[in-house]
Amino acid sequence: MAMPKLTANRVLVVVLLVAAGLAAGLIALSVLGGSDEAKPTTIHGAADTEALLAGIPQQGNVLGKADAPVTLVEYADMQCPFCAQWGLDTFPALVQEYVRAGKVRIVFNGLAFVGPDSLPALQTAVSAGKQGKLWNVTELIFHNQGEENTGWVTDDLLRSIGEAVPGLDAGKMMDGRQSAAVASALADAQGSAQLAGISSTPTFEVGRTGGSMTQLHGALSTGEFRQALDSLLQQ
Amino acid sequence: MTDRRWRTAVGVLALVGLGIASYLTYARYSGGTPYCVAGGGGCETVQRSDYAKVAGIPVAVLGLCGFAALLATAFVSGRTAAAVGVGIAVAGAAFSAWLLYAQLALIDAVCQWCVANDVVIALAAVAAVARLRQSP
Repeated sequence: MAMPKLTANRVLVVVLLVAAGLAAGLIALSVLGGSDEAKPTTIHGAADTEALLAGIPQQGNVLGKADAPVTLVEYADMQCPFCAQWGLDTFPALVQEYVRAGKVRIVFNGLAFVGPDSLPALQTAVSAGKQGKLWNVTELIFHNQGEENTGWVTDDLLRSIGEAVPGLDAGKMMDGRQSAAVASALADAQGSAQLAGISSTPTFEVGRTGGSMTQLHGALSTGEFRQALDSLLQQ
Repeated sequence: MTDRRWRTAVGVLALVGLGIASYLTYARYSGGTPYCVAGGGGCETVQRSDYAKVAGIPVAVLGLCGFAALLATAFVSGRTAAAVGVGIAVAGAAFSAWLLYAQLALIDAVCQWCVANDVVIALAAVAAVARLRQSP
């Protein structure tokens, strides 16, 4: 038996009113969540990064003891996914096995060529280097890396990363991004990359400290780095 | 169209929506990024935005639950199930319209998967209303 039209319409009106109320509630909750500007950005990897790097000397863009017999130079863009892969997979193992033991020092030469998000991230990391925390910030940027050129590098993200690094003055780091010292450090890294003929990231140079360097390309495995570093340490 | 055909339409649309919502939920919890067919990275931006959650619950999970409930109503005959289906689909469509506005006007990025879901829930709302009106 078909329901009389009037009754069907009444049911429909009641249901639509309920649906409108439900939708209004959901939208209200969404608006409240969206406008909560005081909510801090969640920074991933803060505890792991602090545990990894605590107690290891940092001087500007150099991690490790100045008199380490072997030097590894990293050329990276903060937006490059393979740089992040290396930074999160291989770098921690090398730090624990070689840098902490004083055998290897790692030099960070940051480049900004992937796109508009690259430069502010790099400037922030280099600015943190003035407080001896460049490597903490690069690791946290890699931990929290977004998709290339989507506007993921916001001041809010960078400040939150700075605040997640113990011993780093995040305000000073943010203020120092446009300084002449940071511009000069970026130009130095760019100059080194041009001299070395770097055309992609990540690219690495490895050699005895003060000696000639050999290039390694891509996010190579920890095993491949171990082989190269062990061979140099035996020289 | 008959009541049975509208029920089938609601069921099929709910199944499609369930598929999309499942993918978005998987992408969210696996730490990955929803693959944007035309590129541009809008999905990543939308997923990272404050509008991707409601009261701490990811919108993708809400969509998953909504489409699952809508699918369930398609398996039950009668006016009550049809009415519940309308409630779910219309509320979902209205909330989707708000999220589409948020993407265009507030986040300034559009997630193609979300837009696909908006189309599915809008069609499902039409089918659910038609089903109720044809309901025995």
